[in-house]
Amino acid sequence: MLQVENLTKIYPDGTVGIRELNFTVEDGEFLVVIGLSGSGKSTLLRCINRLIEPTEGRITWNGVDVTAANQAEMRRIRREIGMIFQHFNLVKRSNVMTNVLSGRLGYTPPSWSLINRFRRDDRQRALQALERVGIPGKAQNRADELSGGQQQRVGIARALMQEPKMILADEPVASLDPVLANSILGYLEKINQEDGVTVICSLHFLDLVQRYATKVIGLRAGQLVFEGNNQDIRELSDERFKEIYGEEAERLGA
Amino acid sequence: MTDTQQVQPRRSSLLHGLLSFFVPGLGQFIAGQFARGVTLLGIILALGSLSVWTIAQRARFPDYQVSTQVFLVLVIECAALLFFLIALRYILNRYLFKDASEQAFTQVGLIIFYAAAIIIVPDQLLATAGNEEALSQVFGTLGVFAAATLAGLWFWQVYDAARIGARQEPPSMIGGVLIACVLIFILGWNITQIDLPKAVREYRDTQVILGQIIWPWRTAFEFEEINVEATAKIQAPCPEGETGPPVNEPLQGESWVVVTPTCGELTERDLRGNVTLGTELTITGGNFTPGTDVNILWKNPIGNPFRPRGVGDTTIQIGPDGGFETKLNIPEAVIPDTAVGAQIHTLIVRQESAVVFTGRLSREMHLALAGMLETIMLGLMATFFGIILAIPFSFLAARNLMAPIQTTMSGVAGGLLIMIPGLWIGSLITGQVTALFGGLEGSPLLTAGTALLLVGSLGYAGWRLGSMGMQTVGDRAPDALSRTITALVLALLGAGIGYFLGLGFSRGIRSIPLSAEVAMQTETTYAIGGAILFGVLALVYAFQKGVHGTISIGIIVYAIVRTFMNIFRSIEPLIWALVGIIWIGPGPFAGAIALTIHTIAALGKLYSESIESIDHGPIEAIQATGANRLQTIIYAVVPQVLPPFISFTIYRWDINVRMSTVIGLVGGGGIGFILIQWIRQFQYDAAGLAVWLITITVAILDYVSSEIRERFV
Repeated sequence: MLQVENLTKIYPDGTVGIRELNFTVEDGEFLVVIGLSGSGKSTLLRCINRLIEPTEGRITWNGVDVTAANQAEMRRIRREIGMIFQHFNLVKRSNVMTNVLSGRLGYTPPSWSLINRFRRDDRQRALQALERVGIPGKAQNRADELSGGQQQRVGIARALMQEPKMILADEPVASLDPVLANSILGYLEKINQEDGVTVICSLHFLDLVQRYATKVIGLRAGQLVFEGNNQDIRELSDERFKEIYGEEAERLGA
Repeated sequence: MTDTQQVQPRRSSLLHGLLSFFVPGLGQFIAGQFARGVTLLGIILALGSLSVWTIAQRARFPDYQVSTQVFLVLVIECAALLFFLIALRYILNRYLFKDASEQAFTQVGLIIFYAAAIIIVPDQLLATAGNEEALSQVFGTLGVFAAATLAGLWFWQVYDAARIGARQEPPSMIGGVLIACVLIFILGWNITQIDLPKAVREYRDTQVILGQIIWPWRTAFEFEEINVEATAKIQAPCPEGETGPPVNEPLQGESWVVVTPTCGELTERDLRGNVTLGTELTITGGNFTPGTDVNILWKNPIGNPFRPRGVGDTTIQIGPDGGFETKLNIPEAVIPDTAVGAQIHTLIVRQESAVVFTGRLSREMHLALAGMLETIMLGLMATFFGIILAIPFSFLAARNLMAPIQTTMSGVAGGLLIMIPGLWIGSLITGQVTALFGGLEGSPLLTAGTALLLVGSLGYAGWRLGSMGMQTVGDRAPDALSRTITALVLALLGAGIGYFLGLGFSRGIRSIPLSAEVAMQTETTYAIGGAILFGVLALVYAFQKGVHGTISIGIIVYAIVRTFMNIFRSIEPLIWALVGIIWIGPGPFAGAIALTIHTIAALGKLYSESIESIDHGPIEAIQATGANRLQTIIYAVVPQVLPPFISFTIYRWDINVRMSTVIGLVGGGGIGFILIQWIRQFQYDAAGLAVWLITITVAILDYVSSEIRERFV
C-alpha cells in the first residue's frame, strides 16, 4: 500500500510542482493520474521514487518511509518500482538486450557493472521479458532501430526485469498512435492483473482512462481536484471535467 | 531641403561644428551624445599618436618631438586644403551647379581632387611642414598620407557634430568608420613594412631554396660515385743503377695505363723559383669510356693524391677507341731527407663516372624518418595520457552530472575535517610502502599508482567517515550544539584555507622590492589576515545555512575544475613546451609533457561539453531501476558519450601530431627539432624532406581520422 501524505514539491525557481497531495493506493490498483500538461503529474510520479526530491510531505510504501530513506535504502526501494517514460528513455546506442538488462542494475553489485557483468539467469530472464512483450527476436538490435511502439515495449521489459511490485508510467502512450496506445496499456493491464503489480499511470485520453483505470486522481496546478474509481470517471459530469481540465477545455470524443 | 527644418537647430549646428573643429568630439558631447563624442576623441587621439609613432619608427633617426611637430603641421596643411576644397564645393553648388546630379559630381570630384593633391604635392606639403633637418628624421610619404586621412576624419567629425547639433537623431557613423579604416590600413601597411617591389625584386634568390624544398627527394637516397681507376708505379728519385718497378702491360676488358719510364727524377724548384722539370713520362691508356674525360693524379709515397700542376695536361679526353696517350713530367713532390729505400710513387688515371643510385636511404632520410616516428609517437603518448586524465576531469566538469550532488553542511564539515588526516595517513603509508620497492626513483609507475590508490582511498574514506559521523551528530545532538560544532569546524577549515591563500598572496606580491624583515612581516600579516577573513566568512556562512542546510558541493567542484581547465587551455602548447624543456631538458619527453597538459585541458572541455549535451532521459530511467551513481554513469552516460569521445580523441591526436612538429621547433623533440637544425644549417634540401614528411603524415592522418570519426559518429 502506498500512502502519500501532504506531498509538496516547490522547485528552486519557485514553481509549484505539486502541493499538499494526500491519497492512498492499494496493492494491485491501476491508478491513473489525469490533468493538463504542467499540472504536476510527472512531478508526482518522480517524487514517489524520489527521482525528484520532495520539498515536504511523506510517502510510505508497504510501511517503509520512502522520503526518509538514505541512498542505500533508496536503491532497494527503487529496484522494486519499475518506471516507464513517455519518450521511452532507452539508451539509444546500446542494444535492446543491454537496455533490458539494465533493469537488473539494482540487484547487481556495482563493481560488476564495471565489466558489464550480470548474473547468468538475468540474460534468460531478459529474453523471457522480451518474449512477454512480444518482441523476442529483437534482442541484438540497437534500440534506436526499433519503432516507437517496440521501444516502449523494451521499456516495459526493462521495468519487468526489476520484478516490480509497482510500476510508475509517465504518459507511456503520449508519443504513440491510438492503436499502439491500446496495445501498450494492454501489456500494463496484463502485468497489473496477472502479477498483481500496482500501476500508477498518467494519461491524457479519457477513453483510455475509462477503459483501464481502477482508480483515478485528477491534478490541477499541483493540487488534487478529483479522486474516484472507474465508475466515477465514467459518470464524470461536464462540470467536474472542467474543474480538472480548466474552463477552456472541451471534451473530445468520449 | 524641406520646410520642416527650423532655423534654430541650424544655428546651433554651426556652434557644435565649431566646437568639434577645435576639440574633436566636443560638439557631439555638448549635444548629448556623450559616448559618441568620447569615442571620436579617443579614435582621433589614438590614431594621431599611432601615426606619429609609426612615422618616427620608420624614419632613419626617430625623434618623436620632431615627428609630432611635422605631423601636426601636415595635418593642419591637409585640413586647410580640405577646407579650401569644401568651400569651393559650397560655392560651386551654391552658384554654379543647381542640379542634384551635378552636385553629386562635385562631391566625387572633391574626393578625387583631394586624393590627387596629396599624391602629387607631398614634397611641397612636407617642405612647409618642416625644415630640411627635421625632414630627414621623418618618414615622409607615410606622414602625408596619414595626415591627409586624419584631416579627413577631423572634418568628418566636425560635419557629424554639426548634424547632431541640428537634428536630434545621430547620423550614421559609416563615413567616419570608413575614413578611420583607411587610416588604420595606411598605418598597418607601414608597420608591417609591406614592400611589394622588394617582394618582386628579390624573389629570384628564393628560387634555389624553394626548388630544394619543393622537390628534395634526391636527398632522401644515397648516391655513390663509381670511379674507374688505373694506376702505374714510378720510382723517383732514380738513383744510379735503378730501373724502377716493372712496366704495366695493357689489359683485356679492364682499364689500364702504361707509363714509361718507371724510374725518373722529380721536378725541382730552387729558392729563386727556377723550375727544373722532372723526367718526362709517356702515358698510354686504354679501355676507358670513349668521349669522356680522365684525370691524372699523382700519389706520393706517403699516399696523398694530388693533381700535378705545371708539368703537363692532366685532363685528357678519351678517344673513340677508349684509349689515350699523353706526356707528363714527374711533378714536384716533397720527399723528406730521412726517407730511406726506393721511393715509389703512383700515377692514377681516374675516370669519374656519373653518380649511381644505390637504392639505400640517405642519412638525412633516416634522421627525418626517425624524427617523424618520434613525432607521431609523441602525439600518441600525449593523447593517451591526456585521455586518461581528461576523462575523470571531464566528469567533474560536466554541469548536468555535478549540479544534483549536494551535501548537508555538517557532512561537508565532518568530511573535510576527517579527510585531511585521511590524506596525511595515506601519504605516510605510501611513503613506507613505496620505500619497499625503491621509491619514486626505483619504480616510478608503481609508486605513483600506489600513492594515487592509497592517498585517494584513505582520503575518500576519511571524507565518508567524517561526513557520516558529523551527520549522525547533527541528527542526534541538540540543534544548537551540532550547529555550533559544524560552524566551528567549518570556520577552522576556512581559516586553514585562508592562511594558505594569504601566504600565497603575500608571496605573489613579493616581487615588489621589500626588505627581508618587512617581507616576513607582511607574509605573516597576510596569512593571519586571510585566516581570520575566511574563518569568519565560513562561520557566517555555516550559521546562515544551518546544520541541515544543503550545499551544492558538486557545483563548487565543477566551478573549480572548469576554471583550471580554462586557464590551462588558454596557455598555448608552445609555452607549455618551454616549461617542459626547463623541467626535463630538450627532447621528446618535454614535448610530450607540454602536449599532455594542453590535451587534458582541451579534451576535458570537449568531453565535458559532450557529457552536458546528452539526453537526460536514460539517466533518469537507469536511476529509477535502483542503479547507483557509478552504474548510472556506466549504463546511461558512457554509451551516449562514447562516440563523441572517440571522435574528439582522434581529432585531438591529429592536432597533437601537427602541434608536436611545431613544439619540436622550440626543442620539444621529434621532426621539428631536426627541421629547425637543418634550416639553421642552410640544409634546405634536408629541410624540404622534413616538410614533405610532415605534410604526408598530416594528410594521411587527416584522412584516417576523418574516416574513423565518420564510422563512429
